[in-house]
Amino acid sequence: MLNKKFNAVVVMASMLVGLTLSSVASAHPRWVLPSHFTISKEGGDWLTFDVTASHGTFVMDKPAGSETAQVVMPDGRKERPDFVLRGKRRSVFDFHFTEEGTHRVQINGTPSYVTSYKAGKRDTQKRLRANKVERAALLPEGARDVSSTLNYTRAETYITVGKPSEKPLPLEGKFLELQPITKPADIVATEPVRFQLFFNGKAQAGVKAEITRDGTLYRNQQDQIDVVSDEQGFIEFTPEIAGRYILKASHRAPIINNPLAEKMNASVHLTFEAILP
Amino acid sequence: MKGIYFSYWLLGLMVALPGWAKTIPASASMGVEFELPQVQASIYARPYVAVWIEDKKRQPVRTIQLWVGDDEWLKDLRSWWRKVGRDDRSVVDAVTSATRPVGQYRFTWDGLDQQGKRVEQGDYTFYVEVVREHGGRNYIRQKITLGEESFVLQIAPTEETGNITLHYQLN
Repeated sequence: MLNKKFNAVVVMASMLVGLTLSSVASAHPRWVLPSHFTISKEGGDWLTFDVTASHGTFVMDKPAGSETAQVVMPDGRKERPDFVLRGKRRSVFDFHFTEEGTHRVQINGTPSYVTSYKAGKRDTQKRLRANKVERAALLPEGARDVSSTLNYTRAETYITVGKPSEKPLPLEGKFLELQPITKPADIVATEPVRFQLFFNGKAQAGVKAEITRDGTLYRNQQDQIDVVSDEQGFIEFTPEIAGRYILKASHRAPIINNPLAEKMNASVHLTFEAILP
Repeated sequence: MKGIYFSYWLLGLMVALPGWAKTIPASASMGVEFELPQVQASIYARPYVAVWIEDKKRQPVRTIQLWVGDDEWLKDLRSWWRKVGRDDRSVVDAVTSATRPVGQYRFTWDGLDQQGKRVEQGDYTFYVEVVREHGGRNYIRQKITLGEESFVLQIAPTEETGNITLHYQLN
């Protein structure tokens, strides 16, 4: 009797662990939080950045590296940050901003692949960390509905030194990308904000984005704003309260002629501040 | 026919333009009585202060006072920095001065814009932004009409500002 109970507990516990692990692997959004968004000091200043992955807005949680961090300078060239540290639940880097204008700070992932399939008599949905090429050796016999998905996430934010740049920063033309139409330094609480979303370099309709204000740990509701991009890829929303926000946009689409995947799941996680009106 | 309409239009413009472009009298100026109040606080730092004028299209006309000291903190005057400071470094260099202690102050706006030109008659807004470290921020907007009539205007105190009185004088 006791033994049976114990077994049940073990099974439950291992199921829970399994759930936790799988969500660690896939679902914690990665984001960056700068110490400041604006620099007024003549000659520039140092800023520090935290990078982590978590469910709460601006709650440090899972390790996420900053080794791929780049600062896109106002003229479009890319620089590497100085002083990258990797901690247990976040990574940190600092950068000395000296050039006038708008900078994009980005910590982009590398494409990762997941193959999903059905197997067994009960059509159990299963997943493998493998792309189209690798999966052949790994899939069990009789696997059905096999498809591989490319996952790619950009974590980014904008820093403005002095006067914001007139010209928008160039996009890569790959995966999902966000172009601020409202300049990041001009986001003011109670005023509408306009951004444009691009998928593989083209304005993309139907991209879903959710915008959440700092401090989800200290309120009962997420209070998130949900928007969907229009025909020209534009989204518009109004942050009612001043503060730091994260915008999470994602887009799933089939991709053709890709040797490694049939589908893409691409995201942009943008951190911005809405200043006091 | 077209030519005639055009000359009427031109004539209309010539009549209308001097009306638009009429500046405030050469002797006009605005005196400002300004108070930084006593605040009970365990850590008191002198506040950062910006006082400026915008026109009715909300374009900055002139920064009258800027008490900051170190330009690293200019950005903490959030509204002034976004609307005025970040666009024109020369404004900062022209008016910036050290922070001031609690007390009563008097300063005068000479009625000139940032480029040194006498401003046109019309509606303007008088702005004050005060930000104190370990303290609060107050942002004051007061509509004013600058013309050929003098006025005295009182602005109610806030947490970070005491009595403010505007004296628009013609001589």
